[in-house]
This record gives sequence, C-alpha cells and structure tokens, in this order.
Amino acid sequence: MKRRTVLAGIAGTAAAGFAAPSQAQQDPFGSKELIAAAEKEGSMTFYTADFAETQQEVIKEFNKRFPKIKVAMVRAPGGQLIQRIKTEAAAGKLAADVVNHSDRGLMLEMADLFQDYAPPNAADYRPDALVSPKLWPSATLGWAIAYNTQLVKNPPKTWMDLLKPEYKDKQIGQVIGPSGGTTWTRIMFERQVLGEDYWKKQAALGISLYPSGAPCSDALVRGEISIAPLLYNIIYTKIADGAPAEAIFAPEGVPIVPYADGVTKTSKSPNAAKLFMNWRLSKEGQTFMINKLGNITSLKEPPAYPKGWDPKTVKVWVPKFEEFDKLRATWIEEWNKTYGYRQ
Amino acid sequence: MTATSAAALPATTEAAPAARRWAAPLWVGALLIILAFLVVYPLLMLFFGAVSDSNPVIDGFGKFNPSLEHFVTVLANENVHLAFVNALVACGGGTALAVVIGLAFSWIVVRTNTPFRGFIAGASMIPLFVPPLVAGVAWSILGSPKTGLLNTSLKWIGIDFRFDFYSMSGLILVFGFYYAPYVYMFTASALRNMDPSLEEASEVSGASAFTTLFTVTFPLIAPAILAGSLLSFVVMLGIYGIPAALGTPANINVLTTYIFKLTAWSPPLYNTAAAVAILLMLVTAILVWAQQRVLSGKSFATVAGKAFRPRSLNLGPWRWFTFGLALVYLFIVVILPTVALIIASTRKFLFFKDFAAVFDMKAYGWSHYASVFDNPLTMLSIWNTLKVGFITALVGGTLAFAIGYTINRTHVPGRRLIDLLSTIPVAIPGLVVGVAYLWAWIGLPGGLYGTLTILALAFVARFIPDTVKALSTSFMQIHKELEEASWICGRGLLGTIRSIMLPLAKPGVVASMTLLFVLAVRELGSSLFLYTSNTTVMAVLLLDYYEGGNVGKTAAFSLVQTVILGVLLGITNWLSRGAAQGSARAG
Repeated sequence: MKRRTVLAGIAGTAAAGFAAPSQAQQDPFGSKELIAAAEKEGSMTFYTADFAETQQEVIKEFNKRFPKIKVAMVRAPGGQLIQRIKTEAAAGKLAADVVNHSDRGLMLEMADLFQDYAPPNAADYRPDALVSPKLWPSATLGWAIAYNTQLVKNPPKTWMDLLKPEYKDKQIGQVIGPSGGTTWTRIMFERQVLGEDYWKKQAALGISLYPSGAPCSDALVRGEISIAPLLYNIIYTKIADGAPAEAIFAPEGVPIVPYADGVTKTSKSPNAAKLFMNWRLSKEGQTFMINKLGNITSLKEPPAYPKGWDPKTVKVWVPKFEEFDKLRATWIEEWNKTYGYRQ
Repeated sequence: MTATSAAALPATTEAAPAARRWAAPLWVGALLIILAFLVVYPLLMLFFGAVSDSNPVIDGFGKFNPSLEHFVTVLANENVHLAFVNALVACGGGTALAVVIGLAFSWIVVRTNTPFRGFIAGASMIPLFVPPLVAGVAWSILGSPKTGLLNTSLKWIGIDFRFDFYSMSGLILVFGFYYAPYVYMFTASALRNMDPSLEEASEVSGASAFTTLFTVTFPLIAPAILAGSLLSFVVMLGIYGIPAALGTPANINVLTTYIFKLTAWSPPLYNTAAAVAILLMLVTAILVWAQQRVLSGKSFATVAGKAFRPRSLNLGPWRWFTFGLALVYLFIVVILPTVALIIASTRKFLFFKDFAAVFDMKAYGWSHYASVFDNPLTMLSIWNTLKVGFITALVGGTLAFAIGYTINRTHVPGRRLIDLLSTIPVAIPGLVVGVAYLWAWIGLPGGLYGTLTILALAFVARFIPDTVKALSTSFMQIHKELEEASWICGRGLLGTIRSIMLPLAKPGVVASMTLLFVLAVRELGSSLFLYTSNTTVMAVLLLDYYEGGNVGKTAAFSLVQTVILGVLLGITNWLSRGAAQGSARAG
C-alpha cells in the first residue's frame, strides 16, 4: 500500500494526446491567432472553489500580461460550486468558461462538461497529476506543518512529531477529513505512509477540529491552537505579512493536491478561456503562484521552490487516483469515528 | 383596480354587481398564484429532493425514484437527534432571554420617562443589522476561553474567573442579545398603539403599577409578545453564523450547522440536507399552529376611534436605574463587539501575548480596509446589495400588505390557505432554500436567472412570513369600527385602505419594509446559489473573506456593511418620522 513518489525520480512523459502545436512552443501562452481571438472576445467567466482573494491575485497578474481580457469570477465553497455547475449545465445555462476545483474526483465525474484542451507546455507536466486529458493542474497545493512561534517552544519537525504527548490537549488543530479533496489527500497520506495507527495515536492526544483550512489557519495565528497541518498557501501569505507563525515541509513527504481545471464545452469565450488556462499553466504563471501565493507545482521541473523547500530532501507524495477514489468513503468513515467527528 | 378593491370587501357589504362577486375569487386566486410561484413550487422541489436521491433539474422528473431512505437515515441518526436537542435548547434559552430583554426595552422606551429614550430605541436596534456570522466572530474574539479579549483583560486584572462563549450558555446568551430586537419591534409598536385608559382603569381600581404591568399591559400585547418570540425562535433555528463560530469549537452541533456540513462535505449530500430541513419545517409548523391556537378567538384591538396619547410612567429617580440598564445592554451588545471588530479590523494579526499587547500601537493600521476597497468586487457588491434591498423591500412590503390585509381584515374564502402558505418559508433554512430556488427557477424561460431580480424574488419569498407577521400585528390592533365609519361615510374599499388603514398601519408598514431591507442585505443562504459574477452581493463577499480565514478583512467589511445599513436606516427613520409628523399636523 505504501507509495512514495520522488519528485526527481519521475519518469515518463505526458500522454501523446497532450502534445501541443509546434507554433505554441515559440510562444508560451499560445499562438498569435489565439491571443488575437481571445482579446477580441474581451471577457470570460471563471468559477472557482479556491479562496477569492488568492484567485483575484492570479487574475490581476494575468491582466498585467493580457490587460484586454476581463475575467469575471464566481466563487463558492467546493460542494456548493459542484451542485451549481451541475444544475446550471443541466438547464443549459452554465455561465463558466473555466472551472477551477481542487476535488479531482468530483471534477472527473463531470468531465463531459469540458472540452478537449491542452496547454502549449503539456509535456512538461507530471502525468500522475492528471486525471483526464481535459482537466489540468493549473494550481497545485502542498501540505506543511504550521505552528505559532509565540506559543510553541519546541516546534515539530516531522509528521511523526505530531504524535508527541507534549502536544496533547487541543494544542493541535486539524481540518476534518470529509471537508474535501485536499484533506482527503492528507489523511490518506497519513494512513498509507505514516502508519495504519497514525490517526488513532494522534486522536488520543485530543485534537481541535475545523471545518476548513482557512479558519484553522486563522485559529493558529490567533493562538487558539498552536500547531496544525495546513496547506502551505493558506499560511504562507500570513507568514509573509509578519504573522507569529512558521511552516515546515516534513521529511516523510509532502502530500500534494493537483487541481483539476478545465475549459467548458459551452464556453462563450473559448479563446479567452484557453489563453487564461495557458497562462496559468505556463512557467510564468506557475512561478508567480509559487513565489507570491505559496503554491507548489505539478511541473516536472519546478521553476521555483517555496521558502524552506529543499528539493534534495523534500519528497512529494501524490495519491494513486484509483485509490483516491475507491478508498474514500470507507476511510473517511473510519477517520470520523477515530477523531470523534459527527457525520 | 376596482376589481381588486372590491375583492377584499367583507361579505356584509351591500350586494354588488357581478364584477364584485367575481372580484374576491380573482383576488384570492392572484395571491395564491403568486404564493404558488414563490413558495409552493420551490417547496415541491425541496420535497422532491428529500424523498429521492436525484437532482430534479439534472435528472428530470422522469427519474423520480421516491424513497424514504433519507428520512429514515435522518430520523435514525443520533447526531441528528443531538443537533435537534441542541437547537431546541439554544433557541429556547435564547428566546426566553430575548423576550425578557425585548419586553423590558420596549417598556422602558415607550412607557417610561427614562432619559434619552430616542437614543436607546435607535441603538437597541443595532444588533439587528449585524450579520450573524459577524456577531459570532465578534464574540469569539471576545469570549474564546483561550485567547478571548475578555479573558485576557480578566487575567490582567488578576481575576480568576474565565468566560467561555464556546459553550451552550455562550450560544444562548449571544442568541438572546442579538434577537431581542425582534421582540422589541413587535412589542414597542403594540405598546405605542395601546389605549392607556385600560391601564388607568386598573390603577383606579387599586392595582399597583407593577400589577398593572403584568395583569393588564403585557396580557394586552400578548399577540405581539407571542409573535415576536415565535419569530425570534424560528429565526434563531435558521441561523448559521453564530452556532458556526461559537458552537463548532466546542463540538456543539445545531440543525443549521449540520445542514451546512451536509452541503459542504465532499461529495455534498443535498438530498439528506433537504430531509433534515423538512424536519426543521415540521417543528416550525407545530409552533405556528400552537400560536394560532393560543390567539384564536381573542380580540386584541387596542386602537379604537378615540384619541389618546401613550401614557408615560414617571419613574422618579428610578429612571436613572432603567437608563443604566439600557446602557449595560448597549455596552454588551453594541460597544463590546464593535470594539472587538474595530480592533480586529485595524490590527494586522489578532494574536495577543498579554493584555499590554492590545495597546501596542505598532500592530495597528488600515491595511485591511485598504485591501477591502482595493477589491473591485467590494463596490459592485455594495451597489448590488442596495438595489436588491430596495426591490425586495418595495415588492415584499406591498405583497405583505396585500396578504396581511386579506388575512386579517377580510373574510374571503381561501384566506386561511394564504395565511398558511405565507408562513411556511420561515421554517426553511436559507442554505437549503437556496438550492430549492435554484432547482425551481433556473429552468424558467426568459433571462431571469443571473439577474438581481431573481435574488430579490428569493428574498421576498424567504422573508414573506417575517414581513406579514410584523404587519399583522399592526392590522390586529386597528379596530374594525374605524373602517366601518369610513364605509358609512361612503368611501370605497380602496379609499378606506388609503385613508384609514395605510396611515394607521404606517409605522408597521415602514417597520416591516425596513426589516425586509435589513434581512435582504444580510441574507447569505439563498444568495449563494443565485448570484453570478455581475450580481454578487455583500453577504457573499463577507463569506468569502470569512472562509478565506482573514478575521481582519471580515471585521473591516462587516463594519463597512454595518455603517452603510446604519446610515440608510437613520435616513429612513428620519424620513418616516417627518412624514408621520406631517400627517399628524394635517390630521
């Protein structure tokens, strides 16, 4: 069951179907015709389940290069966004040109709504980060261990440290297992890599549970909890702003969550949508997200690393997608029982 | 118009030509059609969802596969039982507290000579403008057992006592504080409209002021007290923000937080959520039925054709005590949370090592406000919210007046049904009703989906009960004899409504439109599924900030929202007072 994927050791190329047109290789964002057509369309609608503020930064940066394309954003929490997309699509009123969602399983179920698409640098992406040739990891997030620097005298250095009795009595906070694809990736890593009894040992310490990552990171900064596994991008911007917090990448592995983003079949601005996707997936777009937003990347050769990330020691862990899908219901149920979470 | 005016005429009115005979059924029919569209159709979608495992829009009605599975799952789930009991305890306790506070306040403001009553009246309504999520966040900043500002202060002073608002008692207190204005609104207008001669009679007969208060005054305004407490109980049942912020850390689930979880889990369980929502509706239906049983057959008409001024009790030196009570309430409900929000919105991070850190001025700045206004969506959402608020208040207020009048002042057949249909939405929690509206209205021909109008329609539908109930209290208190006098003088029904009912019920109409405006501005649940990039509203943006984990921006934006609402309500209040004085002079 154990599976570790080492970033440097990834072999293989993207499937042949992803090969990009030759002209695109000259221009990292797409052909001149595509750019001209996109600028003619002038606007597009972007659905996201990510944080509104983060995505606004991305749009702002995109507009520095392509100021003529206005990106309108609709943001809703994960499950609610899926419900809305399905219903709109069924009524023939899907307004989205591009959808950005972290839950690859739920997006794969709706793959029919998306058109064939591949970015110019398709071959540069890790094949294991893709669940469908239509859906692309334009954002990739990684799990770190964060702590409040004012409260924790002896900070944890590994995932196994989070089992130490010195951190008992609700000092550790955690996002609940059933909150979505990102957390499911982390708890799957914990069980498959850190040991079958990892949950049980940790739950015995007494854990504060949070419905999602954002309130958990806020609680950490405020000192309600002292330590928490957090997606690096949630805590990174706060650390950069001077919050009393720090985050480390643990040596046992960094579970990463590649998003599954696509261009809808019914897109009214398909060229603008493709250009937006192309830019997000480009080296420039990925570098921006790594440096400014605390993202990771699914590019085989990362153009940059987040602070504290040593490519020689940090190991990236990507779940096997079949297991990601198959184990989910039963394992989440067990997690709920172990942590006393009422579902 | 003539047809409409004749429609609601009482059966006792002189025999009319055929047009009049048809008018009543036509009028009732029109109201029923509107309610069917706004309430019944979305509700059917909800039932459809609860008894099947399909989405009616995606799968179509063809795949309708009825099963009681969700109901059985819900009924058998002990977590639902626990959430159910928690909800009843939290809302029951909260309502009891809200009645005590609301009633005391309306009495202090309307019937005593406590100083600065106008100020107290205005300020005591402030909690109503505060979105529940903001109230929850403010009280978690104040009352968290580990990092709360109150506890940090107590530690500094050297007192061992610690507050813990992450608890059932914390929930009850915050519910009671924030929903007291509902009770206040109802009881204050009832007290204001009450004929003081009844109280005088009691006192002449030898009863003390205290005995009079409990044996004459409060029983006379019983419908207002009941209506206010019922409404606040039911509104509390449907609140998500407060239990989410205060209950979740203590693992206290109520029905709304449970429903939210069901829709937020991945994959979401909407059909189960619909089933839980129907449970919630049953509870409310029972409460409404009970209220009607209690009130049936009793006359509460206290506004008769005799001129009077509400009597004001001279409290002597005790008036400073009542003033002090009011100040304590205002301090707890307005000042403390506002200070917490101001600190949160101006401080870069909300971490306090000790009490002295609160005064470290280097940690303060305007960066959260700057980034809120740097966001292009902020101004768009403010503008959209105001537009939706006005449309909702206008359309909803008019509809509620029509419904309220039909229910309370006429005997047309079908009015009981109208009453029932216009009460149902109160029981449906916002998040679930949002999905129901989406399911119901997305398929409609025409460009309704994606407009501000569809948001306004959802708000009108969702808040019909609140508005109608608020108005009904005014209607119930206006004695029939006033209308009859007008008819005898030869006025038609429309003329009577215009010259008698509207002016007399005007404080109620203005109050309920204002209430509707406030509720529309705060409403999150039904907005979440119906807004689009061009029609985003403040509540949605506020949730974005909250979910983004940034208390600073959440606090900054909620203060902005509160100030906007406060200014608008101040203007409304000033305008309506001016108009009232004008009409009083004219009369």
